[in-house]
Amino acid sequence: MIDLKHINKWVNSGGNRVFLLRDINLNVNEGEFISIMGPSGSGKSTLLNVIGMLDEFGEGEYNFLGQPVHQLKEKQRSQLYKSHIGFVFQAYHLIDELTVYENIETPLLYQNINTSNRRAIVADILDRFNIVGKKDLFPPQLSGGQQQLVGVARALVAKPKLILADEPTGNLNSKQGEEIMELFKQLNSEDRVTIIQATHSERNAAYGSKIINLLDGRIEK
Amino acid sequence: MFRNYLKIAFRSLWRNKGFSLINILGLAIGIAVCLIILMFVNNELSYDRYNTKADRIYRIYFQGDVQGEKLKESTVMPPVAQTMKADFPEVEEATRIRDYGFPKLIIGDKSFREDAFAFVDSNFFNVFTLPFLQGDARTALIEPNTVVITEAVAGKYFGNRNPMGQIISFNDKNKAPCKITGVIENVPVNSHFHFDFFASMAGLPESKVPTWMSSNFYTYLVLRKDFDYMKLEAKLPNLVEKYIGPQLFKAMGMTLAEFKGKGNVLSFHLQPLTDVHLHSDFANDLSQPGDIRYVYIFSAIALFMLLIACINFMNLSTAAASKRAREVGIRKVLGSRKPELIRQFLLETIVITAIALLIAILFIKLALPVFNNLASQNLELNFAAYPLLIPLLLLLVLVVGVLAGSYPAFYLSSFKPVMVLKSKITGGRKSIGLRSGLVVFQFFISILLIVCTLVVYNQLFYIQHKKLGYDKDKVLVLQNTWMLNKNQDSFRQFVINDPRVVSVSCSGYLPAGSSNNNNFFVSPGENTSQVIKTLRYDVDENYISTLGIQLLEGRNFSKQFSTDSGSVILNEAAAVAFGWRKGAVGKTISRINNEGRKEVYSVIGVVRDFHFRSLHERISPLVMAFSPDQGTLIVKLRANADIPALTEILKKRWSEAGAEDPLSYSFLDERYNNTYKTEQKMGLILGIFAGLTIFVACLGLFGLAKFTAAQRTKEIGIRKVLGASVAQVTGMLSKEFLVLVLVACVIAFPVAWWAMNNWLQDFAYRISISWWIFALAGVTIILIALFTVSFQAIKAAIANPVKSLRTE
Repeated sequence: MIDLKHINKWVNSGGNRVFLLRDINLNVNEGEFISIMGPSGSGKSTLLNVIGMLDEFGEGEYNFLGQPVHQLKEKQRSQLYKSHIGFVFQAYHLIDELTVYENIETPLLYQNINTSNRRAIVADILDRFNIVGKKDLFPPQLSGGQQQLVGVARALVAKPKLILADEPTGNLNSKQGEEIMELFKQLNSEDRVTIIQATHSERNAAYGSKIINLLDGRIEK
Repeated sequence: MFRNYLKIAFRSLWRNKGFSLINILGLAIGIAVCLIILMFVNNELSYDRYNTKADRIYRIYFQGDVQGEKLKESTVMPPVAQTMKADFPEVEEATRIRDYGFPKLIIGDKSFREDAFAFVDSNFFNVFTLPFLQGDARTALIEPNTVVITEAVAGKYFGNRNPMGQIISFNDKNKAPCKITGVIENVPVNSHFHFDFFASMAGLPESKVPTWMSSNFYTYLVLRKDFDYMKLEAKLPNLVEKYIGPQLFKAMGMTLAEFKGKGNVLSFHLQPLTDVHLHSDFANDLSQPGDIRYVYIFSAIALFMLLIACINFMNLSTAAASKRAREVGIRKVLGSRKPELIRQFLLETIVITAIALLIAILFIKLALPVFNNLASQNLELNFAAYPLLIPLLLLLVLVVGVLAGSYPAFYLSSFKPVMVLKSKITGGRKSIGLRSGLVVFQFFISILLIVCTLVVYNQLFYIQHKKLGYDKDKVLVLQNTWMLNKNQDSFRQFVINDPRVVSVSCSGYLPAGSSNNNNFFVSPGENTSQVIKTLRYDVDENYISTLGIQLLEGRNFSKQFSTDSGSVILNEAAAVAFGWRKGAVGKTISRINNEGRKEVYSVIGVVRDFHFRSLHERISPLVMAFSPDQGTLIVKLRANADIPALTEILKKRWSEAGAEDPLSYSFLDERYNNTYKTEQKMGLILGIFAGLTIFVACLGLFGLAKFTAAQRTKEIGIRKVLGASVAQVTGMLSKEFLVLVLVACVIAFPVAWWAMNNWLQDFAYRISISWWIFALAGVTIILIALFTVSFQAIKAAIANPVKSLRTE
């Protein structure tokens, strides 16, 4: 599904190249649950952003579902990730002006799905996540765990093949974190959703089927 | 999708109430001012266009340069209309108006004075589109002694009775009574004439006089469709040749060629009807004309105002962008593409503009009476009368919304999601240039308006306090005392005997306001062919003392000297023009009178120049002759005189003396001030606009300061941790904006100087624009800007640095 070959990414700082990612080779198959571990600044987020096509890279090849991402135009890339990738963030990144329902609905708006279909899909997911009672609340009225739950629901609503989660439990207490991780595990095993998560925590990493350790932008063997 | 956008728009407006308020308020003020001005401009431009033939009606006017005197008259001779129609096939119709002043009319058993009475040709209503409510437009005025009245007059005099066939007679027994043969709708406000009575010209003997030597008739031509009036105008010199020539020879014994050889010029010209209101500078006209320059100036201000409001909007929206950035980032990650975001933000601005428009309409409703009062206009916001107004306003919302929203929309939608979500929004360091430019532009206009206002007021102050060479304070002018007939002298004696009165002069020649006016062509000495154009004032022996004019040489007129009817007093300008810088007293001047005989006057005195015309004009040579004019009393009052009590007594005495009309009086200083009404109005209006512009610009600056402070929170935090004081941080933040304002000053000053220097050229006596005006304008705007900015700067500076540094 994902095939990264010799990916390098750097920034120029005072004439020196500072490598954020160095010679990354990674192959992810559909249905995998991968945890990326590493200390702060090791390049976890950068790698996720590259995979999520939110960020560009300097050198290398990236094939996503057989498409050469490094050769695609911005618009095509956007089309690609919009329909196949869902994102979950450490800071949830919900839109404060929209209700829970509307937040979850938003990705569907961008995929031109008609109103009645949207309603059905969102209702379905609200039901599944047990947050029907909260659908008319605004994000600031929810606890962190609940916000992240909405975040995951939103990431899933468009039925993506891949979920990228950047420290999804970073802002949550351990109980809330565990619930989210359980949810991921369930999604992975029951819905065959591929998940790549970045995390600090060994415990959370253990939910994954495979652990990749990053240090200074390199994958440690 | 659309609903989602609307929802977001309203919710984010609500969440940022402060910002929204500033935004909407600024925009509403801009739109309101712009709309009011557009209404004014539209009204000015709409004059006379109600006539269905407006585009082919032309007024013929007469221009001349006779013995050094320039004439430009909107009236022409009686036969011009008929002649034009007969001589030129392209003239389809020619019609005339003879303004009849304010006759006294008798209707039933009551008499009224009416000031809107005209005689018109029978085809008048064929030329001008004034719909008839009763009667027939084609035949109403064919018979002599018929009159068509307006709806308003019909209601006023006849109420519910039918006015048709009623008789209106004149107080003047020489005039035959008129029968009412038609009632028309009121003449539109935006017409260059406002008569209420249109009497048939057929009964007016002077309309048939074949003279080409006197002109009293406003004459309008209807040309054939699509005929170029310039072609006709080119043929008009024939008219002078063919008709004026022979009569000139008869009257002056001079052929036209000889007359022209002396440098005299006579010519006819055509003026499109639609130009009459805005492009007229005739000494006499049917109504106070507008001024195309004001239309231009106001249009520019309207545009500026709208631009400033839009710029504000852009600045504030981009400033608020950091708040919206996260939303943009999330939306992008969720799959929104740029065009969708642009659409979303444009929709938001359009919603905001629509709200602003509603508030603007409220503002207009409130401000319109004030503006009407200031600008002597009669505007109203009438949705029913203008069905196009609503779609037009919607279009305005769309245009302003897109104009104001496009920059923020493109700016916001261009955020890179990763950057925003990592809250690494370096947020438009590059767009700071553009924003600064916009701020500079706003302040450029503010400063421009401040300087202009200051110069106008400075000039008005100068006018107010200029030593005029005569004393205008505490001078009462009693007009039309000739109405008292034989009781005039006793009335005058009554005034003189009042203890509150210092002195009284009898003269209709006033140094301020409308006045009698006589050109006087005289030669210095008796045997010289040199002719100098002067003005002649007929005064009595009290004129000089009553007005406090200073006698430089010689003596005043006196009843003791029987020879004084042949004496004159000159002003300095006249003495200089005659070549007698010193020792004018005792010299003689002469002229040939209308009967061809020579009149000789001896100079008995010279007075210091005084401003008997407005300060727009240079003091010209003036000759004062001794011939007590019985028409107007100039009354100098004591400094502590109780004026209301005095006028009460005078009014009473006046009606006892048998006058039919009430006493009309004025004060010389008021008459003087009224001369500069246009300038005063312009000053006031400019001042108001300057104030509004500054207010709106400051709203923008306030928002921008808030934005910068927010952007630099982290930097400010670090600086404070490193030991910067609140004052230092405040200074740092304020400095940036002051630089912008200074740049605006530097650009605005020369432009303002140039513009106002041009304006001042209209005055023969004027201030020179001194540096302090610029200094004052600059300091004012800097203080205002500083005040605005420092709010935010101080707020940012006293914030706890720990808070701002604790991100992530």
